[in-house]
Amino acid sequence: MSATAAEFSAGIECCDCLTPFGDAAATAVALLAGRRALALTPVLGRDGGDPVPLALLGPMNEVVPPRWVDALRRFATAIPPGPWGAARTPVIVTSSNFGVGSLQAFMRDRDPRHLAHGTPYAAVNRLRAELGWGPHVHLFSHACVTAHLGLAHAGRLLHLGVAERVLVFSFDFVSPFVAGGFHSLKILNGAMPAPFTVRETGAIGLGDGAAFAVLARDAGPARLAAHAFHNEMFHFTGNQPDGAGFLVCPAAIAAAADGRRVWIKGHGTGTLEAGRLEAEAVHRQFPGSPLVSWKGSLGHTLGSCGLVELAIALAALRAGRIPGTVGGAAPSFSPAVALEPFSAAPFEGAVLCSNAFGGAHAALLLTTA
Amino acid sequence: MPDPLITRLQALIISTLKLEGVRPEDIPENEPLIGSPRFGLDSIDALELVLTLEKEFGVKIGSSEESRRALASVNSLAAFIRSRQPGA
Repeated sequence: MSATAAEFSAGIECCDCLTPFGDAAATAVALLAGRRALALTPVLGRDGGDPVPLALLGPMNEVVPPRWVDALRRFATAIPPGPWGAARTPVIVTSSNFGVGSLQAFMRDRDPRHLAHGTPYAAVNRLRAELGWGPHVHLFSHACVTAHLGLAHAGRLLHLGVAERVLVFSFDFVSPFVAGGFHSLKILNGAMPAPFTVRETGAIGLGDGAAFAVLARDAGPARLAAHAFHNEMFHFTGNQPDGAGFLVCPAAIAAAADGRRVWIKGHGTGTLEAGRLEAEAVHRQFPGSPLVSWKGSLGHTLGSCGLVELAIALAALRAGRIPGTVGGAAPSFSPAVALEPFSAAPFEGAVLCSNAFGGAHAALLLTTA
Repeated sequence: MPDPLITRLQALIISTLKLEGVRPEDIPENEPLIGSPRFGLDSIDALELVLTLEKEFGVKIGSSEESRRALASVNSLAAFIRSRQPGA
């Protein structure tokens, strides 16, 4: 499925994120300086295990309440005041983790207090109570394209006229459960990620991240001008080997961009095959456009990456310089890959892409004028 | 005389992946394990196999690329284990 600008275009009233570097502005500054938030950390937290690259806001221990509660309470003070969660100002919460780490903590400790945060509903209910949101809260979860779906749904609500403003809120905090899962797949290993880099062994990092955006139909000048979604329906972990699935969203967004000069924020986790397919697809659909990934510094913030990286893109645009592919190195999978920062001045927009398990793909067109 | 490591690996594959009606000698030594149309093994099966092998033989598989190379066939799996565990 792909969507066009007319169906879902929405203005961004306010957008920010939380990473180990701080807010979006601080994160953009750190990325421009080429700093890595990732550090080798025992994969199972206090239970030890192999060291793997994680970018954490604090020790990865499962405590009661979970560590994300206090972090999000403080982060949420940046959200503009509003009757969030009322019928005309709903909240869309997007995450791929929610409080899943608490379920594993319950299995290990048998402390029933963990269960109060262990399901998406329970986690968001806790958040709703903490942040004083009303009952109109939607939950979205679709692996690593989750935030894109939440943003598009917000646009849909605005265009249907059933909402005046929508708060999209996303959070994914790494837990030993999730880190252990990726470690078992061997894509989270002892190496630092080097997105889009030709090398023998692929590697990803994982990172804590949270972000929000307040969307309104006529807000501006920054706008989510178009969204595209596609699912390969090929295999629940593998992509079509010919890379055809990676072409669909960039093609739809290229059509919506209508000749605008854009730069591309790719998904670029650091895995080899998906990185190559993505880099080639982007180069084919947007010849001459620079391609970057920031997951070599921040790690992969999973379901939140689309919104976290949108906030960073907006901060970078305000600063006038776009961070390059931190952690990447030559040779790259495509000549489009930008390793160094570059000026935002020549560009009229940006394309932000995310991909997910199950062959899910998403992309959006961000315009600022 | 059959290689005892090969036989052990074939039996391990059957028990780990709960392959019904398959005998150890049915698992080919030189054919691809993952993506095999005969057994329909996929990347989740590969994950289960890797975890079992690490536990059973005390070896570490460091990356998904290494995992793919090791799991190319029963023979390559045996060679990988022997390279990490010369006595196997």
